[in-house]
Amino acid sequence: MKSSGKYAIGLVYVQYTLIGVIFLGPVLWMVSASFKQNIDITAYPPVLVFSPTLDNYLNLFQQFPFGKYVLNSLIIASGSTLLALLVGSPAAYAIAKYKFYKLGFAALVVRMAPGVLFVIPFYIVAVNIGALTSSLLNYSALVLVHMVITLPLVVWLLIPFFEGIPEDIEDAGLVDGCSPWQVFRKISLPLALPGLAVASIISFIFSWNYFLFALTLSTDRTRPLPVIAFNFIGQGSADWGGLMAAATIISLPALVLTFFAQRWLVSGLTAGAVK
Amino acid sequence: MHTNPTRRSQTAKEETGGEDTVSRRPYHQIVARLKKNMPRYLMLGPALLLAALLIVFPVAYAVYLSVSDWSPTGVKDTFVGLSNFERLLQDGLFWNALRVTLTLYFVSLIVETVLGTYLAFLLNREVPGNKIFRALILIPSITAPVAISMMWLLLYDPTLGMANYLLRLAGFTGLEWLGDPGLVVYSLAIVDIWEWTPFMGLIILAGLKDLPADPLEAADIDGATPLQKLWHVYLPLLRPIILVAILLRSVDLLRFFDTIYVMTQGGPVNASTTLNIFAYRQGFQYFDLSYASTAMLALLVVVAIIASCIMILRRRFSYEV
Repeated sequence: MKSSGKYAIGLVYVQYTLIGVIFLGPVLWMVSASFKQNIDITAYPPVLVFSPTLDNYLNLFQQFPFGKYVLNSLIIASGSTLLALLVGSPAAYAIAKYKFYKLGFAALVVRMAPGVLFVIPFYIVAVNIGALTSSLLNYSALVLVHMVITLPLVVWLLIPFFEGIPEDIEDAGLVDGCSPWQVFRKISLPLALPGLAVASIISFIFSWNYFLFALTLSTDRTRPLPVIAFNFIGQGSADWGGLMAAATIISLPALVLTFFAQRWLVSGLTAGAVK
Repeated sequence: MHTNPTRRSQTAKEETGGEDTVSRRPYHQIVARLKKNMPRYLMLGPALLLAALLIVFPVAYAVYLSVSDWSPTGVKDTFVGLSNFERLLQDGLFWNALRVTLTLYFVSLIVETVLGTYLAFLLNREVPGNKIFRALILIPSITAPVAISMMWLLLYDPTLGMANYLLRLAGFTGLEWLGDPGLVVYSLAIVDIWEWTPFMGLIILAGLKDLPADPLEAADIDGATPLQKLWHVYLPLLRPIILVAILLRSVDLLRFFDTIYVMTQGGPVNASTTLNIFAYRQGFQYFDLSYASTAMLALLVVVAIIASCIMILRRRFSYEV
């Protein structure tokens, strides 16, 4: 497979183009539709050249409290990410340092359980503690249940970063009289900073994307973007421009962050099983 | 009973090692050991507590619900034994949902595995720009499923969608992608294949990069053709990693919910009602949470069976290599 003449390389790029069109075409189509007037979207045959407009976006924010929905999504995704980091990073450190690998495997098993199975008990508990009536409780409940997604993810992503820290450095800290906690806080954690960044980015995206928990547990005031977008479809309006603008806004974090965290995305998605 | 306790504990430690010794150790040693290990338990503690609360509790509660007769109104929690399971096995909709789930699963998985393997070989070619390309094609896998569903609703639209436009351009008639009960499962499979093939490709690529060089060189020396090399060298070596990719995809595919719920909500006439959608409807449209839990436990059993089959295959192949 090493024959890389000009011809062979050309062939690779032909395949790249084809695959690129297939996998990225729909995304570009969505983004471009969000800048189209509805007359251009419904045009047949489909038009590639059009005069772009921001109307779809402006409408979203003028007709609906869309800023509020964005804020809801931000609160839930960053809340569940921060908590997962707080709880998950010492756990990941302990797993890496003291080799509790069985616990790591458990995180993979969690992936096997279907979301609907979780959401039924969560719903009953939420009703009983009044989390469907009070906004504050509802936000907290949503943040907490999203940790089903973020906590195993954060733990798995951080383990290799803590494993990568040379033991000598940590031992030196112990010799100098640090307690294990101090070693963790003052030596290991700062060294694993890139890992923390990666874990928070990926965990944020996963929590931001997650639909099912908020679908059943959120209230009118706390609904995050995916649920709102789903409700737009349900209204049966043929406002494709508005729908595509909403879809583009929801996709934004993933689109932007692909470029920053690409290297770790695969391991994040596979939750460490490749090792 | 006259033996010196310290000596005894030492011999016990040598013979069995571990637990047995702990109980016979002098008190201060136990304390010392606890003190030494305390930080690691404290580090794990909060995460384990949360996992128990968020993961173990719901599963246990779902089991409890499945053997009781929960209702939102008043009378609740009567023990009903296995009657929910009996009802499930007699429910035509359940069997339909199981069939839809498995069809969607096998169709998507097979196509994703084949295309993913191809993609891995393509991405393995070191040409300028391949790193950027790798990042770009991952976009379908990390974009919010709800956004992807909306995007495909537009593409599949019978009158103004791109899919039918291309079909007509090629001389065919347009299709009712999501409206035709015989077609809808395959339309949804296409969306899943589009969404997850790049991910599959990148996992297999990771395996491809870790391959030992020796067998490949040997094959070169023996003058194997590229096709022979692919079939007799690459694929057997890649089998373990491909099985890992299949395992991960299986687990996700069988719980596939968002895309279906957003695009068809299980319709038309239950033609795309997977077990997940079935359970969701039982739970949150008819508020029969006990029955919904029962259906989800059935799905969990299906997932566990398929996952263990793949694990067994994987173990067999990893010994072989």
